[in-house]
Amino acid sequence: MNEAVKSTELVKVYQSKERVEALKGVNISVDKGELFTLLGPNGAGKTTFLRIISTQLMPSGGDAEVFGNSVVDEPEEVRKHIAVVPQDVVTYANFTPWEYAYYFARLRGLSKPDARQAAEKALKAVDLLELKNRMCQTLSGGEKRRAIIASALSSDADVLMLDEPTSGLDAVARRGVWSTLRDMVDEGKTILLTTHMMEEAEIVSDRLAIINKGNLVAVGRLDEIKALTKEKYRVVIEGKFERMSDFAEVVKLGDRSIVYVKTQDEALELLKTTLKMNLRAEAAPVTLEDVFVKLVGGINNHGNQ
Amino acid sequence: MAINKILRDTLIIAWIKSYPDFRRNPLTILLLATVGAIPLFFMLIFSGSGLLIHGLIGALISSVAFTGVLAGIQDISWDRYVKIREMIVAMPVHPASYALGTALAPLLLSVPSVIFFGGLLASFGALTLATAAWIIVAVILAWASMSAIGFMIATYLYKVSMMVLGNLSTLMGFLFVFIPPVFYSETMLGNLSWISILIPTSNVAGLVRVYMGLLPLPTETVIIRWLILIITTAVFITLTSVKARWREP
Repeated sequence: MNEAVKSTELVKVYQSKERVEALKGVNISVDKGELFTLLGPNGAGKTTFLRIISTQLMPSGGDAEVFGNSVVDEPEEVRKHIAVVPQDVVTYANFTPWEYAYYFARLRGLSKPDARQAAEKALKAVDLLELKNRMCQTLSGGEKRRAIIASALSSDADVLMLDEPTSGLDAVARRGVWSTLRDMVDEGKTILLTTHMMEEAEIVSDRLAIINKGNLVAVGRLDEIKALTKEKYRVVIEGKFERMSDFAEVVKLGDRSIVYVKTQDEALELLKTTLKMNLRAEAAPVTLEDVFVKLVGGINNHGNQ
Repeated sequence: MAINKILRDTLIIAWIKSYPDFRRNPLTILLLATVGAIPLFFMLIFSGSGLLIHGLIGALISSVAFTGVLAGIQDISWDRYVKIREMIVAMPVHPASYALGTALAPLLLSVPSVIFFGGLLASFGALTLATAAWIIVAVILAWASMSAIGFMIATYLYKVSMMVLGNLSTLMGFLFVFIPPVFYSETMLGNLSWISILIPTSNVAGLVRVYMGLLPLPTETVIIRWLILIITTAVFITLTSVKARWREP
């Protein structure tokens, strides 16, 4: 069995004032030792998915397995394999990173010497060893987040589940977290990550899934996801571009337009045209964000299609 | 799950939730002691030393009762906010360890005030070794019942915001500690003194007064008071466990 996590027709319906279908039959399979990212807009169902897989929330239908153990019927077995970093987690102000890592390891059942060793290793992995005895209230946002990640790492769980772990962090802190995550994957850990940041998904993922309104829209490697759209290049044009109707895929952003074309030649041709019109333009391959926006239905077509 | 793992996790959670305050924020301990000390201070000012022993009994019980209800409500709501609860749910930790550890933590923080007020009672000759064991059991039951009430409120008001729950816990603490006959003898209520049996804090205060010789009650009444205390605690625990969900439905 090469699957660490597998969901089958996972459904979640919240019954409050109105019925909300958060997940509508999601099938996802995460291999052992890979970093799998669940990408989606806010409210897409990412956190719901993660909370079900991490046995915090019961599904309304379907099931999921972690190393062959059902999250519905065998949550205690699942919990032996996982560690979770929830979204927007807040640190205890007068707790230290060391205490986070050490006591969480103890709660996993590790003996005192083993927990000490695990905490030391986890803090080293997140580059917090030197700050291990500082109270969390004196740490920066990134350091606090890394302290929480250390508490998950010290458990030595096979599968780490992180819900938007870099949300709210600055670029430097974000990269620190990404580096830690990739190191964990190198050590053989399986990581299930949720994010709404395209750059994060692009840089850290081995494979990713796009989820929107509870539906799985796409799954695959980055190149496979990008291949899902016919348009491979984007040309960003500044100023009033008169020939928008000549193109099928155009997004208008105020005084700028993004024109999507299928080939490099088309992109070059469009660049020449814009230059002749005395407009500024820039061509590049499509980004994950372009594909994402198109797949989740957010593209604003102004073309003649 | 093995019982020794459950007990060990209980102690770890209690330690996690009390040790940082013990070490880095000892004012918390002073604050908990103040809850009992302030009414005691006013009692001394306005009535002299005549009600001192009653005031000390109130201070002793308020030290654990106030923290008990606070534990149930505030810790749970705070844990939801900081998401530590989510992290623990996803770990091989039994829910009983979490609940017991959460309730035990403030009790550990109130130990210094219990020792202080208990020590004062002993120094005035109001506490003897023979009665100490009964009083300790009664005080522990006060903590257990108040924690159970706190957990019950937190469980049934699951969707209420942390700030509302925080205010509610303080209000409940004050209501249970300062209104019923905890700092004063239930004999002052006259025909309504039976009310004190129904409220865990005043029931315990009455029992403590009985063992200190301040409230003469027949043995049958004392037994009934113990039974009611145990039953009310069990009822609150049952009501909580019926509604509480470790994993959200």
